[in-house]
Order: sequence, then C-alpha cells, then structure tokens
Amino acid sequence: MTDERSFEALQKELEDIVARLERGDVAVDDAIALFRKGEELYKTCVERLQGAELRIEELSASEPE
Amino acid sequence: MPGPDDPGCAVTLTTVPKVEPIMYGDRKVFTVSSFNRGIATYLAKLPVLWVEGEVTELRRNEAWATVFVTLKDPETGATLKVTIGRRGFDRLDLALEEGETVHVSGRAELYEQKGELGLRVTMIERIGLGGHLLALERLKRKLAAEGLFAPARKRPLPRLPRAIGILTGADAAARGDLVTTIGARFPAAAVVVCETRVQGKGAPAAIVSALNALAAHPEVDVIVLTRGGGSFEDLLPFSDEAVVRAVASCAVPIVSAVGHEQDTPLCDLAADVRAATPTAAGTLVVPDAGELRTTLEGSRRRLGLAVRNVLERDAAVLTRLGERLRSAPRLLLERRRSALDHTGARLKALSPLATLDRGYAIVRAGAVALRDTSMVSQGDRLEIELASGALGATVEDVRA
Repeated sequence: MTDERSFEALQKELEDIVARLERGDVAVDDAIALFRKGEELYKTCVERLQGAELRIEELSASEPE
Repeated sequence: MPGPDDPGCAVTLTTVPKVEPIMYGDRKVFTVSSFNRGIATYLAKLPVLWVEGEVTELRRNEAWATVFVTLKDPETGATLKVTIGRRGFDRLDLALEEGETVHVSGRAELYEQKGELGLRVTMIERIGLGGHLLALERLKRKLAAEGLFAPARKRPLPRLPRAIGILTGADAAARGDLVTTIGARFPAAAVVVCETRVQGKGAPAAIVSALNALAAHPEVDVIVLTRGGGSFEDLLPFSDEAVVRAVASCAVPIVSAVGHEQDTPLCDLAADVRAATPTAAGTLVVPDAGELRTTLEGSRRRLGLAVRNVLERDAAVLTRLGERLRSAPRLLLERRRSALDHTGARLKALSPLATLDRGYAIVRAGAVALRDTSMVSQGDRLEIELASGALGATVEDVRA
C-alpha cells in the first residue's frame, strides 16, 4: 500500500502521533496501534528521502507567435 | 495611408485654397475634398508633439520619398500611422526593428485623398535607458497601486514540493547552479525544466507561456524563474507588464532569481519570494535531506519512548491491582480472626470455668450437675470438677 500524500502530510501525521502518545491519554490497545502506524509513517518518509536520484524532465511550452 | 508614389504629405499652407461650401437653399454643403482640406488646415495648426509607441510595421523603399511606420500603444493596441521623409529617416541611421519602442516628434496631418489621420515626423528616437527607467518606474507605481506587490499576497513555499518547475533561458550557468543545489540538498527531488526565450522581442510572451505550462504540470508545486546577469535591457522582459501579472497570478508559488543581486526586475516584486542567486533559490525550494532525516529519527525515538511510557504506566497500574488482588483474602481472614477473638473473649467471660477459678466446684452425678441433695442417695458416685483437675467421690450421707 503506497501512501499518495505529500511528504509534509506524512511527517505531520507522524508528529501528531508522537504528540498524542506523549500526552499519554490513550488506551494500551490504541497506543500499540498508534505506535505501529508511526513506525510505518517513519519508514515511508525515510524511503521518500532515499529516492534514487534527481529526476529531470524537460518541458517545452508552445511559443506564441 | 498615402500611396508609395505620393511625393509627400506635408500640408503647405500657402497652397491651400479657401474652403467654400456649396449652397442648397439655406444648407451649406462641403465636398469631400473641401471638408478634408478644411480639417487638414485645422490640424496643421496643432503644435509639434512627441509620441511614444511600439514599432509594429516599417516600410521603406529606395524608390519612395517617404518611409511609413505604424506605431502601437502596447497597452491598448491603438495604432497611429507615422510618416517621415526617407532621406531624413536614413540620416538618423537607426537600424530600427519592429517591436522596438520609440519616441517620434512631429505634427498631426491628414492625408486628404483618403481622409486618414497620421503623424508627420522629423525625428525618431529609440527609447533610451532613461526612457526605460521612467517607463519602468511608472509601471511599478501602477502595479503597486493595484496591490500586486503587497506582502499579504505572498504565499509560503511548500516544505517539500513534489516537483520544482524551473523557467530558464539557454543559460547553462544559472540552470546548472540551481539544479546542482537542489540535487545536493535533496537527492530525491524532481525538477521540470522549461527553457524559453528570455530576452529580445517576443521574450515576454514566451516567458508567460512557459510559466503557464509549468504551472499546469500536475506535480509542479513551486516555480523558480531564473536568469543569469545581463544588461538592463536584457532583463527588461522580466519587468514586462504581462510577465509581472502572470507571476503575480500564477497558481503555484514563485521564487524569482533573475539577474544579479543589485538588479530588481519587477517580477522580483511580484514573486512570492526573491532569491539573490540561483543557488539561494535552490536552498529555498527544497529542504536539506540530512536535516529532515535527523528530524525523522528524532520523531521515531520519541515515538518509541512515548509508547514505552504508556505501556509502563499501564503496567504499573496492573501491578498495583495484582497486589491488591493477592492481599485481599489475607485481609479478609485477618478481619474474621479478630472478630472471632472478640467473640471468644466474650464466650470465655461467660464460661463456668471462670467461676471455678474463684474456688467453686461443679459436682455431677453421671452427666447431671447437682443442684439439690434429693438428686442423690448414700453410696452414689460423684464427679467433682475443680478449676484444675477433677476428683471422684462417694456420698457418705445425705442431709436435707
């Protein structure tokens, strides 16, 4: 399953999960589910950072005459 | 417009015959010629004026006495026919091209044969640096008054764009610096490069078109306009009204990195962020992957710590519960025992044995405790219980 959201959105969700867990007002079952989700987000973010190398696309605009 | 073989269009006041109407009863009627002549005479009285416009058409022929130029107002598209004597034109030695902005000096005139208005000029000047600066200042004031440069319009750049649009001329240095910086900071970045004409005639339209193409790209989240240094005139397209408006109204945020630090083309003012150099622009559009990585590692560490804290906190609660659970039966037992002790004490206080301690004895005949002498006869066997121990005895005599 690939997450199509932007890196920013993924990182934001990770931060939110960390903040929720740090507040501590979660049940144990929820805490474990949140932790798993957080780990998954972390891995997705790291994978995005490690994308192979700079991709360059050339675009040509139709020139008005 | 006067025909090419027209010897010239100057109105010579001395040759103008008097304009006489024809009378139809009370009605004064002018012929077309006399009407045109009258207007021409009137126009000839106007002073010599300077007019600014863009050359859109230039017709010069060795065989003609007159050079024909059409000037256009770039803002409204209004046009004006301008004529100048060919020899006068040649002496100016302008090598004028279509699209250039000029100032012309002359007088309004009417080509009587066609009733067409024109300007007969003696001087054509290419708009100089001073003229450009003034025009630029005027445009800047106008656009500023419209609020195009207002800080409230500036949008924040995305922290990590899916793709970065780059609008550049055939300028290897600026493009190279930008792409290298982006690649070094964020190797997984994607850039979409649109190379276009950035100077000379047609550059503004080409820039607008390239900008639109980049903004329409599905992944482009930010656009960098870049162009290396150049002369004031070279950078003029980046101050063109159409370009500045396109920058201001672009659907995605724009970073302007045009020219050197001291240059301030108007697109710099309309862009969301201005970068002094292409390298600086590269730093602005992508984050540093290393720093991001560090932040992510930090988040992950906190994630682990936080979940452990939650679990440990719950484990502690559980331990306390377990202890209470285990200690519950013992507590219950102790409570029961203390109640029992109490009852025992009360029982003991009531016991006849306590009376025996004080020196009394219980005398039984068989299982029956004796309370009356009539209950036994001489020779009966008696059992006497003392506080400590018991005695066996026999009845010797019975007394009433």
